Amino acid sequence: MQRMVIQRILIGLVTLWVVSVLVFIMTSLLPGDVASIVLGQAATPETLAAYRAANGLDQPLIFQYFGWLANMVTGDLGVSKAGGAKIYDLIAGRLGNTMFLAGLVALISVPLSVALGLLAAMYPGTWIDRSLTFGTLALISVPDFFIATFAVLILAVQLGWLPAIASVAPENTFWQMARGIAMPLIVLVIVVAAQMIRMTRAGILNVMNSPYIEMAILKGVRRKRIILRHAFFNTIGPIVNVIALNLAYLVSGVVIVETIFAYPGLAKLMIDGVQTRDLPLVQACAMIFCGTYVVLIIMADVAAILANPRLRNPK
Amino acid sequence: MTDSRNLPTIDSLSGADREIVETGLKRGATRREVMTWLMASGATIAAAGSIVSSAKTALAATPKKGGKLKFASDLHGPSDTLDPGLNTSTIDYSRGRSVYNSLTQINDDLSTRPELAEEYSANPDNTEWTFKLRKGVKFHDGSNFTADDVIYTMSRHYGEKSTSKAKSLVADVKEWKKVDSHTVKAIMKGPNADLPVILGTPHFKIIKDGTTEFQKANGTGPYKMTEFNPGVRSICVRNEHYWRDGGNVDLIEVTAITDPVARLSALLSGDIDLMQGLNPKAIKKVESTPGVGIWSVASGAYFGICAMTNTSPGNNRDFVLALQHIQRRKKIVKSILKGQGTVGNDHPINIAYGADHCSELAQRTHDLDKAKFHLKKSGITSAELNVAEVAPGMTDICLLAQREAGKIGLDLKIKKVPNDGYWGAVWMKTPLNVVTWNMRPTANVMMNLAFAPDAPWNDTLWKNERLGKLLVESRGVKDAAKRHEMYCEMQKIISVGSDDHPPSGMVIPAHRNYVDAKSDKVEGIGRMPLGSLGGYEWPEFAWRTDV
Repeated sequence: MQRMVIQRILIGLVTLWVVSVLVFIMTSLLPGDVASIVLGQAATPETLAAYRAANGLDQPLIFQYFGWLANMVTGDLGVSKAGGAKIYDLIAGRLGNTMFLAGLVALISVPLSVALGLLAAMYPGTWIDRSLTFGTLALISVPDFFIATFAVLILAVQLGWLPAIASVAPENTFWQMARGIAMPLIVLVIVVAAQMIRMTRAGILNVMNSPYIEMAILKGVRRKRIILRHAFFNTIGPIVNVIALNLAYLVSGVVIVETIFAYPGLAKLMIDGVQTRDLPLVQACAMIFCGTYVVLIIMADVAAILANPRLRNPK
Repeated sequence: MTDSRNLPTIDSLSGADREIVETGLKRGATRREVMTWLMASGATIAAAGSIVSSAKTALAATPKKGGKLKFASDLHGPSDTLDPGLNTSTIDYSRGRSVYNSLTQINDDLSTRPELAEEYSANPDNTEWTFKLRKGVKFHDGSNFTADDVIYTMSRHYGEKSTSKAKSLVADVKEWKKVDSHTVKAIMKGPNADLPVILGTPHFKIIKDGTTEFQKANGTGPYKMTEFNPGVRSICVRNEHYWRDGGNVDLIEVTAITDPVARLSALLSGDIDLMQGLNPKAIKKVESTPGVGIWSVASGAYFGICAMTNTSPGNNRDFVLALQHIQRRKKIVKSILKGQGTVGNDHPINIAYGADHCSELAQRTHDLDKAKFHLKKSGITSAELNVAEVAPGMTDICLLAQREAGKIGLDLKIKKVPNDGYWGAVWMKTPLNVVTWNMRPTANVMMNLAFAPDAPWNDTLWKNERLGKLLVESRGVKDAAKRHEMYCEMQKIISVGSDDHPPSGMVIPAHRNYVDAKSDKVEGIGRMPLGSLGGYEWPEFAWRTDV
């Protein structure tokens, strides 16, 4: 297993490098560069040249890339070509915000959805299962911006219970913080839980058709015990993978929720970076997102192996 | 409050009614109660709201000190900057106004008054301007404000290494000279009477001599910045050592909420006090909600469709005329802008520029017969227009034009393109595209930027030497009638052209107001028409009624 983990980490590093090259090429292919976007409508050939020279944008792309890579390896993320702020400063606060939100969502949604998924699998065909299935399918079909806007309309504008924007300023008290983050939290829990509930239920019912479950049934084991003792552990592999993908989504893909609640997170930062063609910023965000995926998927695989005796003790 | 749509104010009520409203408000009646009385006597919601707002303003004209103010703009990101020369968006300008000062300050009628320059005057032929600087002004770091700071600030706006976005505005200043520690001189290349008003615009905020790093702001302004987090927020606290009585609230938080619906929700639920950029579609919602109101200022900002003159179809004069005659200008103002705008006449100078606007020039109207005639003469049957939503309403204006074009047999294809990268890749590069310009401090600056034959931003690459000559000559003219005549000729050249010189190729169907929204608890927002919320001047003057 150690070998597998090391192998995975090495593959992960190669993936990161490939992604950095791809992101660099793609961003450079977009029309316009950071100078023409920052100067916008007011750009003239002279001011463009002056801006490029002042920010090292007049060098060939290949030099810019390797310059970035050399700094990156030494841990220097560089400065934003668009505003001059240190990339580290731009990212640090937002990474904290993103992790805080993603962590809270995971803390609530993972136990909740695994429990509800098990419940549905335990009593298939009953009203519990049917209402859970109906509810999750309905929520998967509704886009997150709709849930978010609807929540704002009801909870903030009509009822005035929660603030419309999620402010997480350092001077806020715990209570203000909790109120501020409540709405994105609710929306994201709804969005990710639905999928995880479905997967847990489907995974367990899938295993329930295996011969060893049939054996257990014939032995006269109670259904609850079959599911919790026999089926669940064999389903952990696929379930943790779905959880890992959902968590990675929470880190990198929640741009719509961040936008609607004006929550300063990483996903929006990357979009801003792409819009201004700010290569060092885009690269730094891409590395964080890609790294998150790699780490979470390695963790999911390790968990799957640990949960499965056949993989744990290979012949 | 004089609304651009001429809504009634407290002054328009009869004596008895006026007393009822004023007494009611003094006794603490809520806005809703007073509005109910007014509506019971036949006033519309908008009119009643306007009357109550104006009555409140009249009653509480003395600013109160204290409280916090939270402002949300429409755009922000890692490119937010405190470098005045690179300021781009409302959020940058508003921050700049909080922490810095200019030499001069622009009034609501676009005249100027002294700010850091105590006195300024030109020599008789307007070729040399002398600025006497205020003494005893201190920067936030405690250092004194002197002529060196002005010379350093101005030096950043010219020369090869300058990245200033306002470089072209002061291109006719030959040199800035320090006379003594508190006097500077601008030596001009030619006469220019407009220099003081240009120096009152946001890019010319005064920074400390030698400043090269802009992650912190060191200005002389009414607020000190204690936190600057690009793309997240900034916090400013009142500068207790400010050189004049300004800065009414204790703390200003500036942020942006990109999503227009979310921004509006935040205002309606009271999470923010001021918001920039109200979508015309949301005006009704704001007007019917108690506690908030719109802040609309008529301006010369305009929407334009650019037909490039160096290529087909824009080089065909008849095609452009057809495009101009299919514009339903009144309908655009009424339906797309919800009344918050004025009709355009295919040149950039509308009534907001005051005396320089040429009211004698005939207004071009919606005339499908003429359009059909010119289209037939041009021999063109289809064209492709590149559209980005450069200002709210732009796409709708183009879609309306598409529908009208269909009626005269022109297949006008609309190609929607994204906003990011638009100015570098589409604008001035494709045969038919769109543009929006904010209002500029003078008619001369506006036409010089976008229409002069050597202007880098001449939208349609149109060259008219006569216009270029008039632009330079008119800067030195002091006789009002002569000046107006020259400005009128310029507007005519742009819009109509002459027999041997084609017009600019610009279709300018409408000018838009700056429409923002605010809580009723915030007063002191001006009506200077050069930008959002009274030309970004609010940070120094806004105050809260509830402290």
